[in-house]
Amino acid sequence: MFEFIVGHYNYWMYVGLMMIGFYAMMAKRNLIKKIIGMNIFQSAIILFYISTSVKKGDVTVPILEHAHDGHGAHAVDIMHYANPLPHVLMLTAIVVMVATLGVAVAVTIMIYRRYQTLEEDEIIMSIRRG
Amino acid sequence: MKILSLMTAVLVGAVLIYGTLDMPKWGDPHSPANTHVSPYYLHHSLEHTATPNVVTSVLADYRGYDTLGETTVIFTAGMACILLLRAGRKRRGKGDV
Repeated sequence: MFEFIVGHYNYWMYVGLMMIGFYAMMAKRNLIKKIIGMNIFQSAIILFYISTSVKKGDVTVPILEHAHDGHGAHAVDIMHYANPLPHVLMLTAIVVMVATLGVAVAVTIMIYRRYQTLEEDEIIMSIRRG
Repeated sequence: MKILSLMTAVLVGAVLIYGTLDMPKWGDPHSPANTHVSPYYLHHSLEHTATPNVVTSVLADYRGYDTLGETTVIFTAGMACILLLRAGRKRRGKGDV
């Protein structure tokens, strides 16, 4: 049981982080706080993926050693290098995260210029008043 | 409304935690993610791409077209930001006059 908790509590941390972001996206009225929640959500997913690439033991980053000696190409011990694929995929996800953050902040600036507020209920009141 | 959001978050979190119970242990070198596809890249990336950094060779060589498409994403986001902010400035200028 203790071993099971030690082997799985990292996933539970990411679930907790993700739900903090999810709650912020749903319940907060301030648009900037919603964007911060979206960022926490995305960061939790990235941490989760990176944690799947970890191997315990004598492991380093996925940069092959002795690559330029001429004899390194044939004797790659895969248990000596971390899994490179989650790192690559999360590099892609970070790019998407930055793009969405930029567009979201730009739209928020536009909303502030139009309504002079970032509180959702005040914006809705302002729209209803016409 | 806040109670409803909190209940949704807790419910989704419980479902996700239920899903993690079948996950491999943290740092397990024999987990499916670490044994199924990634050994191919670790074994062959040096002879295919002559790059010791496997992350670089996968990002820029095996998935080169994906990275090219990613630059399109960044370009689109940048254009969207520029157009939004410029349009806002123009409209406000008109309103002031």
